[in-house]
Amino acid sequence: MTDPIVQVRGLRKRYGDRTVVDGVDLDVHEGEIVGLLGANGAGKTTTVECLQGLRRADGGSIRVLGLDPAVDGTRLRSLIGSQQQDSALPDRMRVAEAIELFRGPRSAAVDGLLTAFGLAGHRRTPFSALSGGQRQRLFLVLALLNRPHLVVLDELTQGLDPAARRDVWDAIRALRDGGATTLLVTHYMEEAEALCDRVVVMRNGRVVDSGAPSELVDRNAPWATVRFSWSDDDVRGWTGLPGVADVRRIGDTVEVNGDRTMVAYVAADLVQRGRVPTDLAVLMPDLEAALISLLTSGGTR
Amino acid sequence: MTSNTVVTHRPAAPAAGPAATAGAAAGTVARLIRAELRLALREPLVLAFVFAFPVVTVLVIAGAFTAEDAPDFGGFDPAHWYVSSYLAVIIAAVGLVMVPVHVAAYRERGVLRRFAAAGFPRWSFAAASIAVGVLLTLVGSAVMLAVAAPLYGLPPVDSPVLTVLAVLVGAVTFTSIGLLIGSLVPNARAAQGIGLLAFFPSFLLGGGGPPPSVMSAGMRRAADLLPLSHVTQSIRDPWLGTGTGSGHLAIALAFLAVSALGWWRAVRL
Repeated sequence: MTDPIVQVRGLRKRYGDRTVVDGVDLDVHEGEIVGLLGANGAGKTTTVECLQGLRRADGGSIRVLGLDPAVDGTRLRSLIGSQQQDSALPDRMRVAEAIELFRGPRSAAVDGLLTAFGLAGHRRTPFSALSGGQRQRLFLVLALLNRPHLVVLDELTQGLDPAARRDVWDAIRALRDGGATTLLVTHYMEEAEALCDRVVVMRNGRVVDSGAPSELVDRNAPWATVRFSWSDDDVRGWTGLPGVADVRRIGDTVEVNGDRTMVAYVAADLVQRGRVPTDLAVLMPDLEAALISLLTSGGTR
Repeated sequence: MTSNTVVTHRPAAPAAGPAATAGAAAGTVARLIRAELRLALREPLVLAFVFAFPVVTVLVIAGAFTAEDAPDFGGFDPAHWYVSSYLAVIIAAVGLVMVPVHVAAYRERGVLRRFAAAGFPRWSFAAASIAVGVLLTLVGSAVMLAVAAPLYGLPPVDSPVLTVLAVLVGAVTFTSIGLLIGSLVPNARAAQGIGLLAFFPSFLLGGGGPPPSVMSAGMRRAADLLPLSHVTQSIRDPWLGTGTGSGHLAIALAFLAVSALGWWRAVRL
């Protein structure tokens, strides 16, 4: 694998007496979408601000696109397409004017970007008249406008309704398919699971785990549940199957909990009994469940 | 957007060398000036204050005195004295009312962080604000002179170079003071309050109100502390030929240096 585009080692940042980033390591390789996850106040935004040179780190080393953000901040930021949390545009600025303002000499084809992000018909629309989803898509257009080597998106979908959020996700997927390297800061687990090749989880300024979303789920939530209708009283038959942790009856429904291998044994048992329930469901934990497990266990990488 | 859309992304080659970097920075400032001018022209209330307030007040106050009051105005026609003083009122309206609210609103909404994150040089927004402040001052001055000329006539300009220089220095100084206020206050509403609080005493004591000869000693001492008094005199003296105004110009430049140092060192614009 080539050298990472973003290489952060031992990053530290304090605000007064409070340490908000405490020894963070982070790599982002070309073409990846890496998610930086964690609850509010975990240190995600400060981390990405430090690696863009918008804040000066108190310790550690940062190289982004081969540059030190503390030394070459302005040059570096011209190579990064950035959407910052809670940063807007002037209300009366129109879409085309925003593009004109942020467009550098090496920009991408504007018409193509506006069309791809569904804003071609809004060139003369003032920022204040755009919907939440349109604003976020405009921010994506602006982030991509100057053909950046790295795209940093901080809480891009915060405050959007589910439909608008999925609209923005489609936009980010399109970006990934086009080959952009993206660092995505979010506290929405569903978003990270849907979009990221790799996630880095932060808590209290530290990295507590990292890897592909599926790896985090396997590592931190290696359980499964099989649920089906079963009218017979005796459910003890399943408790002895390999991998089964417990069996519960809730009304006419039975829930079998255990590790993932249990699913195969329970299914095979049902087939053997000749009574495969039509409402058989297998519930697998998602990234959110894995992260809740990780963050409540107090573990550190 | 559909889920099968692909946004083809080819990173651009980085700009090479300091000349390209300097060219990019100049381009950024030019684009910011264009954008800021456009936005300023879409703010009717601000425009009314910057353009209409000085015109209306100069017409009222210049018309309130007659030639018999000339001794209170150093022997000059009061209307001419006020016309030569009121360019500073426009400068103060831009610097104390328009700029602080604009800067504070940008900070509040994260617009300045967006500029920084886009690689705009740190000084570029200040440079664009100063350019826009000077341009609006010049347009406002032209409007005021165009309205006053047919009613009162314009006093002959004794030293055009020094007068224009003083107008430009005054406009830059007050835009810089406006940048400092806008950088320090917590939000746009506070900027509006503090800006107006600074504007009206400056306006009344610093050139737009009664002539210094009718002020009490205390009022004159207070007026001497106000930056606007020095900007007014640095313009009026070379215009009316009562002096070069260079001492007042130097004080205005000192206010410029201190305010610029303030927003550059203490505050992230």
